[in-house]
Amino acid sequence: MNRIEQRMDELKRSGKKAFITYITAGLPDMARTGEIVKAQEGITDVIELGIPFSDPTADGPVIQQASYEAIQAGASLKKTFALMDELRAGGSDQPIVFMMYYNTISNYGLEEFAIRCKKSGVDGLIVPDLPYEEQDALRDALDKQGDATILIQLVSPVSKERIGMITADARGFIYCVSSMGVTGQGGTYHKDVIEYLKSVKNAAKIPVMMGFGIRTPGDVEPMKNIIDGAIVGTHFINLMREADFDPGVAADYAIRFKNELN
Amino acid sequence: MNSRAYYGEYGGQYVSESLMNILDEIDREFEAAIKDPEFMKTLGYYLKQYVGRETPLYYAERLSEKYGTKIYLKREDLNHTGAHKINNVLGQILLARRMGKTKVIAETGAGQHGVATATGAALFGMECTVYMGAEDVKRQALNVMRMEMLGAKVVSVTSGSNTLKDATNEAIRTWAKTAEDTFYIIGSAIGPYPYPKMVKEFQSVISREAKIQHMEAEGRLPDVVMACVGGGSNSIGMFADFIDEPSVELIGVEAAGKGIDTEEHAASMAKGRPGVLHGTRSYLLQDDDGNIKLAHSISAGLDYPGVGPEHAYLHDTGRATYVPITDKEAMDALMELTRLEGIIPAIESAHAVAYAFKKAKEMTADQSMIICLSGRGDKDVNTISDYLAGKGYLN
Repeated sequence: MNRIEQRMDELKRSGKKAFITYITAGLPDMARTGEIVKAQEGITDVIELGIPFSDPTADGPVIQQASYEAIQAGASLKKTFALMDELRAGGSDQPIVFMMYYNTISNYGLEEFAIRCKKSGVDGLIVPDLPYEEQDALRDALDKQGDATILIQLVSPVSKERIGMITADARGFIYCVSSMGVTGQGGTYHKDVIEYLKSVKNAAKIPVMMGFGIRTPGDVEPMKNIIDGAIVGTHFINLMREADFDPGVAADYAIRFKNELN
Repeated sequence: MNSRAYYGEYGGQYVSESLMNILDEIDREFEAAIKDPEFMKTLGYYLKQYVGRETPLYYAERLSEKYGTKIYLKREDLNHTGAHKINNVLGQILLARRMGKTKVIAETGAGQHGVATATGAALFGMECTVYMGAEDVKRQALNVMRMEMLGAKVVSVTSGSNTLKDATNEAIRTWAKTAEDTFYIIGSAIGPYPYPKMVKEFQSVISREAKIQHMEAEGRLPDVVMACVGGGSNSIGMFADFIDEPSVELIGVEAAGKGIDTEEHAASMAKGRPGVLHGTRSYLLQDDDGNIKLAHSISAGLDYPGVGPEHAYLHDTGRATYVPITDKEAMDALMELTRLEGIIPAIESAHAVAYAFKKAKEMTADQSMIICLSGRGDKDVNTISDYLAGKGYLN
């Protein structure tokens, strides 16, 4: 069974909410990215590894800068696959998804990409510039590799009548963006956020996570009873920078957030 | 997959989920508008009375004599604001009004599309923000001032390469945040569907006029039609009405910068591979990891690492041919046109003129070609003078 789906089942059985973090792969270098992932094993439910891209149009300034620095430091998809190989060889059973832009996949080749994801234990993909209508080719390529890598669906506050279509055969969890626009907008959610989250929750057969602009457990307090978990990206990168990428700080933050959430 | 959004394997809607409903809304309103006689009448009114259409199809007598074939220039440089960009801006801004939007945003490279958008926004009393790379803000200071005079806010974008690609990224980010009340006016034949179709529709006035004008002058269709290609807005407009005329050869001229065998060019068709950027799948300059490479051209308007999806399709099917022209060839042609015909073209348009001189060698005195003179060179005077002084140029 897919690691993400397995983790979601465990959380459901124990009645707990999920905690998910995002870090740009290769920031400040691949070795330390690996340490930050390892430090969260067994604490953070899913880790998103951002594959840096030159033109990240779905990201705000913090993740843009992180991607830029990572590319300058030599990060790439190939090197992130190598890091995954290392993590899995070292016994990591952490659910991990790649968050990446479609050109990086298209450039690698869809079939080869799907095969490589399976080989190195990438459990899921979040592709912010690949809306539902454009997913057929990638889904076909992933499906040929069985359950290894699943495509996570994003829903936005203005998705409205599209919610049914998007959630119908979605897998793993639904990623609800809390606001219009890009990552990292510090707590300013869309005005109809509660109503919107409820409609996604009603439609979805799988857990619903909220991301974009979350820093503390308090930020999700108003919608805690609706959502099944929270995703922290931009703030997590800021935190890591402040702590000079100390893996211990990542673990402490995850433990605290997860405890407060539950 | 929404097959309507594709030209062969190119095009599509590669945008965040936040924008899918708005694209659908734009698509529906656009299709309704272009079938609405009232809308088209209003657009026609502004194109005639405000922009000054139709533009002449000028027979360049001295060039024709020198190069041994009939050379016609479609004078888009004579439009209000100095380039073809205004044709599309008026179409999209009228559409924005029809949709009840009160704010518009745009990206700009050379500043021509930004100026055209700021102009349209002033005309219709809309709030306008233009995103422009910090590098381009520097090298196109005059256009920045024009936009500000027109009441637009110009945002200097400092991310990535600080040029058009990055300005477009920033416009897309802002649009994703504000689409509920803001219309994004894209100036090139790029972006998610229906943008490439809209830009073509609103720029096709160029070829509709030119076809009739050439027919009046020569009693037949031209043999060759050519235009410069950055994102591809003037060229798709120049090709539009000739695509279904198999006897007419279509040529798009890409910017080869310092040469397509150097690392400094903007020839996405000659040297790129298919990929996805700014909402669409098309030819792109990219590295081994799929990161987008920096484009280079002396012409800010062609300084873009991609090309519109319909051009990619016309390229693959062989209906149109795409050729590269270097900075130097373009500048030589610019001077030639200036001295022989008294017309200072935009450096963008000079790329098409440069290839026309090469193409003319294969043509006879009875044959004819139309070159789209997409813009005037006033905006480029600083670049031209630096170039002539041997100082190189800011890029």
